[in-house]
Amino acid sequence: MKRETRIALLGLLVPLAIVVLWQIAALMQKTPLFPGPGKVVLAIWANYPVILRELGITLLRAAMGFAIAAITMIPLGIFLGRIRLIGRVLEPLMDMLATLPPPAIIPLVMLFAGTGDWAKIVIIAYAAAVPLLMNTYEASHTIHPMLSKVARSLHLSRLETMRLIDWPSSLPMIATGARLAIASSLLVSVTSEMLLSTNGIGTYLQRSQENFRIDAGLAGIAFISLAGVLINAGVFRLEKRWLFWHYRDQRQSE
Amino acid sequence: MTIARYAEKLRVPICIVLVMGSWQLIYVLGMVPAKYFPSIFAIAVAFWQMLTDGAVISAWATTFLRALIGLVGAALLGIALAIISDLSPVMARGIRYVSDVLQPIPPAAFVPMAVFMLGLGPKLYAFVIILVTVWPPYLNGVSGLASVGAVQLNTGRMFGLTNWGLLWRVKLPAAMPEVFAGIRYAATISLIAVIVSEMLAGRDGIGFMIFKKAFALRTAEVFGLMFLVGFNGVLLNGLVNLLRRGVTGWHIRMMERHE
Repeated sequence: MKRETRIALLGLLVPLAIVVLWQIAALMQKTPLFPGPGKVVLAIWANYPVILRELGITLLRAAMGFAIAAITMIPLGIFLGRIRLIGRVLEPLMDMLATLPPPAIIPLVMLFAGTGDWAKIVIIAYAAAVPLLMNTYEASHTIHPMLSKVARSLHLSRLETMRLIDWPSSLPMIATGARLAIASSLLVSVTSEMLLSTNGIGTYLQRSQENFRIDAGLAGIAFISLAGVLINAGVFRLEKRWLFWHYRDQRQSE
Repeated sequence: MTIARYAEKLRVPICIVLVMGSWQLIYVLGMVPAKYFPSIFAIAVAFWQMLTDGAVISAWATTFLRALIGLVGAALLGIALAIISDLSPVMARGIRYVSDVLQPIPPAAFVPMAVFMLGLGPKLYAFVIILVTVWPPYLNGVSGLASVGAVQLNTGRMFGLTNWGLLWRVKLPAAMPEVFAGIRYAATISLIAVIVSEMLAGRDGIGFMIFKKAFALRTAEVFGLMFLVGFNGVLLNGLVNLLRRGVTGWHIRMMERHE
């Protein structure tokens, strides 16, 4: 066997050991409020259609919030990064926003927008906006000075420079911001559903707790984790495909 | 040009004036009902009343202490896991599996289930916070330990260090700057996790207080508490930076010299 595969297989023992310990702990507790992995698997089998439907609602909301944030914040970030004076002056404002955790604005949004779909989408958009704005801004104001000179010698207008030079050269860092933003919009979508309950996987978790179905709740968590892993892997793939030139250049310069 | 330079020097006051000004403008123009959007003065008065009342101070202390204890635990555990991963590639792979699975789960999702398993006490907060904040210090620790240069390692060997000595005196100090970047990120997450857990567990702390006030439509007080949450972030960040200067001062001085 190759060394790589042997490590990968032996590594599986670690999560396996955790599962076994968990099962032993659950058997010792002997209460339905502390279900073991066996019970959770049964709960997954019993509940997966409901969980998948609720998860779909959640993911749709997360995607909408993220899309709104991306459409508004990436252009704003480039704008603030290029118009240096405005960007530098407004920097503390961005820092202030970054210190305010998204869940803290949930009660506030609730006052304005109630507990409907839009309230949750606004919260998700806010959560995704901060990393997107910060990274886009950071990327476009630390652009290599040579690129600006190229733009000037080609007589590009300001708008053309933003579109043809700033946007592609900030893409790698924007992609990092997007990855953070996707993660945080997933996290916040579940959180906001738990607090502003109507539907979605967060509400499903909350309801499982109210019915003392801890095993069903853990089954829901397992699906959230699975969705997260799949989305992360997908984003990573897309990044590799769209930004192949960046990774290629990086390898060459090493 | 001089105007630009002044504007840059005064950017913090400019930003504060900008926020407060547009806030007051929305209030004066009545774009949003005053019930939902109180004036700055109303917020300041409500905040002051809460401060003198004393309830907010104890809630603040509870929340901040929880975040701090969780962060310290997560940082220590993260470093320990990183060291284990550095020693054994099998363990590294195994811990990576676990972190891949656990990382996408929001702290909020753990709370309702953990309430039954662990109760509403400090165990609940320690569990939830550590479970979600341990990953940035761990991941940064792994990559920091892995990227120690061959020259440094060989120098250490030349001084006759054993493998343990090499880890303790060469690799760990060299990885610390990266670990601290992870801890800084973890600080933000731990504050979020505390607030969310308090909102859901519903017993005490700033998170619970915000929710209670929001349901009672005490908007001015909600804004005041949100300000306090932001302040918590600044404070925790300051503490982490202080510690970073102490532990990795050599690195910061080196970077400054290079500039």
